[in-house]
Amino acid sequence: MPSALDATTNAQLRRPNLPLITLPWLACALLGLAMLMLGRFLGSYQETLMQQVGIFAIAAVSLNIVNGLAGQFSMGHAGFMAVGAYVAAATTYYGSLLHFNTAELQPGLFNFGHVLMLIGLLAGALVAAALGYLVGLPSLRLRGDYLAIVTLGFGEIVRVLLQQTSPQVNGKDPAEIAAFTDAPLRTLARIPLNGALGFEGVPAYATNLWIWTFVGITCLAAYRIKESSSGRAFLSIREDEIAARAMGINLTKYKVRAFVLAAFFAGIAGGLLAHAGVTTSPIDAGFQRSFEIIIVVVLGGLGSISGAVLAAIVFVLLPQVLHPIKDYRLVIFALLLISMMLLRPKGLFGVREIWNILPRRAAHTKPGATP
Amino acid sequence: MSTFLLDAQNLGISFGGLKAVQALTLQIPPNALHGLIGPNGAGKTTAFNLLTGVYKPQTGSMTLNAQNLMGLPPHLIAKAGLSRTFQNIRLFGELSVLDNVMLASHCRGHHSIVATLFRSPTFLAQEQAMRRRAMHLLDLFALAPAAHAQAKSLPYGDQRRLEICRALATEPRVLLLDEPAAGLNPSEKQALAKLIQTVKAQFNLAVLLIEHDMSLVMQVCEQITVLDHGCTIAHGTPSQIQSDPRVREAYLGEPTPTPAGT
Ligand SMILES: Nc1ncnc2c1ncn2[C@@H]1O[C@H](COP(=O)(O)OP(=O)(O)OP(=O)(O)O)[C@@H](O)[C@H]1O
Ligand SMILES: [Mg+2]
Repeated sequence: MPSALDATTNAQLRRPNLPLITLPWLACALLGLAMLMLGRFLGSYQETLMQQVGIFAIAAVSLNIVNGLAGQFSMGHAGFMAVGAYVAAATTYYGSLLHFNTAELQPGLFNFGHVLMLIGLLAGALVAAALGYLVGLPSLRLRGDYLAIVTLGFGEIVRVLLQQTSPQVNGKDPAEIAAFTDAPLRTLARIPLNGALGFEGVPAYATNLWIWTFVGITCLAAYRIKESSSGRAFLSIREDEIAARAMGINLTKYKVRAFVLAAFFAGIAGGLLAHAGVTTSPIDAGFQRSFEIIIVVVLGGLGSISGAVLAAIVFVLLPQVLHPIKDYRLVIFALLLISMMLLRPKGLFGVREIWNILPRRAAHTKPGATP
Repeated sequence: MSTFLLDAQNLGISFGGLKAVQALTLQIPPNALHGLIGPNGAGKTTAFNLLTGVYKPQTGSMTLNAQNLMGLPPHLIAKAGLSRTFQNIRLFGELSVLDNVMLASHCRGHHSIVATLFRSPTFLAQEQAMRRRAMHLLDLFALAPAAHAQAKSLPYGDQRRLEICRALATEPRVLLLDEPAAGLNPSEKQALAKLIQTVKAQFNLAVLLIEHDMSLVMQVCEQITVLDHGCTIAHGTPSQIQSDPRVREAYLGEPTPTPAGT
């Protein structure tokens, strides 16, 4: 009996282990590489698109941790992104003024400007994660619609607060720069994030190389979480809270953990967006962008990381492809979503990953002789 | 200091005006197989919900191995060593059979997020140990061939057994089974009776069994507590219960003359 047992055990153990380690690495590397190669051949417009795809992918993969894995419907994801964006933008912008005496992009592959961006990304992600903790707490008492409303409210609060911030130090005016570098703390205490106008002039250090590196890191982190005891805890909460608790899962801990992790990576997505050569504005925290990210997650499949990346690509690129018939593109997009809901209500891949679809099918039919 | 593994005294809860469970006392020694029976709506499942912390008892006290369980949240009660199955199956349907069982060993491990993200050696060793243990349990329940199937795709009888298997993965001291034989055919019921006894001996645990099938209950249980309308109306060995007039009345007083409900 022990030998027969070991045989089945080993057979069952081996298969899920191999793709766990190699495939996601490969997939991320290939995807990133493909994006980079494309960037070499395409113009700056296409490069901007790729940046958007990458940032959207990070946002969607991170939202997938809380919405897809843990099943907590968060509608304030853009709020976390915006927090990360503003913290990172301010770090790089004001850091550059202090260090370089200008907010202009510094040339070169790697310089202190990039270091500032990385510090900003980390700071933004940490602040977002801290807010994720606060927003995650009500999820213990609130379910479904109510939680959705609270998280929606969070995004709107972030938006309104950002609108109240004071004007930015003008990085083109030497007098203002001098006044700022003389007393940086007094200036920063006014929270000079430029209010409703949006934070401008952040040097665009976030090239596709950086963005897609972070896509890779985020996907890898999300995948490792999903294929771990924490990931199972998240999924069990999504499937059945009562059973999860009865099996020893601390709901408080894991719901909050899901929010914190999701907010952390949302903060990174936001930080990258702020460094992608666009103005970061309070609108970015609003519900429209949150909805967009939700659509991507639902399209890709709640819980599927590769699905979320693929859906992000489709979501950003499809409107471009449909450009020639742009009068109808919203209609086409809506039709696509509706048919998706009807034909594959769990999204493209459900909870599975792209590379799991075929082997899982095979595994399903093999042990046909279930006792 | 009691000699009982699970010592619940005077547990009670009411919903609005309905006294769902009143003054319930259950004292279960180590390695016992205790039955909890009663007509539909008697309060058996509610008793389980009190013991496992789903509802907070409004009266009474309960200890497991001298550890106080009163007021603990369900996950800590599970960690203390009380595990259960559900009357209406509550598997994690989208998860694989293996993941269902692995999940249940969660409360016996450490799950630092840093170790998870960096796949530290201790993390990998723990995952491996969880998987191995889960496969052993599945093997014992003849569910190993279906380990990678979705739990919801299993046939009904297998789902019931998977629930028991999952409950065992929490490494309980006391296993609470809520109508595990419901919907099974006679031969499956016999196999289940054997399985319960095997499991009890092999894992050295006490079992508290809710069951409507009287022949099964009388066959396997050493002690039986009978509930009716939330009150304990009898307590004793199977033969004492069978001859107890109040038990007969509770069951036969119903419009249907058959002792077993559905
Ligand atoms: N959460 C609740 N709120 C209100 N009433 C409840 C609740 N839970 C149980 N009850 C009531 O308590 C009584 C006991 O229910 P319980 O489910 O414990 O019965 P049972 O003995 O398990 O019955 P069955 O054999 O049908 O499973 C029933 O009248 C039920 O309606
Ligand atoms: Mg019941």
